[in-house]
Amino acid sequence: MRIGSFAWPLVMGLLSAFLLGPLVLVAVFSFSSNALISFPMGELTLKWYRDLLANADFHAALTNSLAIALPVALISTVTGTLAAYAFAEWRTRLGLPLLALLGLPVLLPPLVIAISLVVLYVRWLGLPLGRPAVIGGHVLVTQPLVAAVIASRMASFDFTVLEAARDLGASRWQTFWKVTLPQMRAAIVGAALIAFALSLDEFIIAVFTIGGGNTISTFVWGKIKTTLDPSINAIATILLLMTIGLTLIALRLTRYRG
Amino acid sequence: MTGWPRALRRGLALFPAFGILTGLFFVPIALLFAVSFWSVKSYRLVPGFSPDAYARTFSFYGPLFISTMLIAAAVALLCVTVGFVFAYGARFRSGRYGDLFILATMITLFGGYLVKIYSWKAILSANGILNSALIWLGLVDAPVTWFIFNRGAVIVALAHFLLPFAILPIYSALRNVPDITLEAARDLGASPWATLVRVVLPQCKAGLVAAFAICFLSAAGDYVTPMFLGGGSGIMLGQFIVSEFSTRFNWPVGAAMSFSLMGVSALVIAAVWLAIVGRRG
Repeated sequence: MRIGSFAWPLVMGLLSAFLLGPLVLVAVFSFSSNALISFPMGELTLKWYRDLLANADFHAALTNSLAIALPVALISTVTGTLAAYAFAEWRTRLGLPLLALLGLPVLLPPLVIAISLVVLYVRWLGLPLGRPAVIGGHVLVTQPLVAAVIASRMASFDFTVLEAARDLGASRWQTFWKVTLPQMRAAIVGAALIAFALSLDEFIIAVFTIGGGNTISTFVWGKIKTTLDPSINAIATILLLMTIGLTLIALRLTRYRG
Repeated sequence: MTGWPRALRRGLALFPAFGILTGLFFVPIALLFAVSFWSVKSYRLVPGFSPDAYARTFSFYGPLFISTMLIAAAVALLCVTVGFVFAYGARFRSGRYGDLFILATMITLFGGYLVKIYSWKAILSANGILNSALIWLGLVDAPVTWFIFNRGAVIVALAHFLLPFAILPIYSALRNVPDITLEAARDLGASPWATLVRVVLPQCKAGLVAAFAICFLSAAGDYVTPMFLGGGSGIMLGQFIVSEFSTRFNWPVGAAMSFSLMGVSALVIAAVWLAIVGRRG
């Protein structure tokens, strides 16, 4: 046997452990009675979760996050899907450059996006910071991802079905509702879930544009800044379960790979 | 009923997304660019056209600029190298487990930005997981203090955060490399190394450069990781963009630093692109 046959599983195993390890540790220690994250582990407990559920600040932060992530998911799904539809009609020539242009905000550092939005809101528009300000920033960075997911689904879309529907006398509107939408439904729902998960997790734009109050991520930020507070493990685990759960469902729905 | 003309329909479909892109991205970025030429007199913004903010960026923050670029380059190189190994393993050396490794990558990708930074702090700190495990196992007597608050800690944590962003584009580039070209190379007597260098790498150059660009830009612009893990030697420019912008209210300097950061990063990425993809053949 060559060494290679052992080396690859070992390398892949070690790298997977490096990727997932930090996340697994946080989740495991959220059930530990130790105040500090250290070995040996303390006894199993749900204390941190109980503390968290009793914490009014956490409820407020969760409410804010949901009140931001829901509209973000709805708006970016509509704008992203419409854009992907236009790209698909253009086929290759203009579609790809336009998609890249739409994706520019994702490529730049979120810090730059955040301060440019503050300059716009505060100096030029005189708008107050708050939930709507965060929603705007989040739509900006989630709509290109929605458009990319939908566009990759549309690439394998059979457009002759639409012609068939039109030939059989369906109006454009009926064709859209009865033929296009049902075929795209899974991809659209999947894209919406990804947008929702990204908005829940996003921190930098949120912390600059929320003004007063907290989202879950700025709440976590406040806690990390002070100390290694064990309840962070519990919040982090809840956040992990929400974002990873949503994205796994989304990946199944969109059959998106890489 | 005649439908609307095609061009109009497309325009209407594009309008919402590009309206948001224009209103909340192009316009604010242009405004921020304008502000970078303004000045500040006794805590008030004075519109104008002055290069002072850029002068301050490069004179005052020059060394920090260089060390930020070095950290970003180290992170990006690490991510591309390790990401290539992982993507290559998942594509060619894992059989039916390949998809599982990509799923692990996806989970890490969506695993939470602050959660990861917090986790690295918990792993590396003096009374953290790594030290308590080493002491528990009897490998060291006292906590090792150089795990955290330096450049190395920032590089490791940023590389962990950005690795999925390198793996995914490289993997999708490798998926387009047909198995048959590898078999042909082997049948013609090429060593595994020669196959890698002369058959696989040339076919996934663009993916490698894309991965480098994403990792470099994100690392260069990050400020939360160095704030928590960087200590004195691991400070980065982003932290000072934040302090100029929020605590000193010196928007022009914050803006000038942002554009300098993006400009220099773009130059680095363009140089890498030209060196790797630009050459003919």
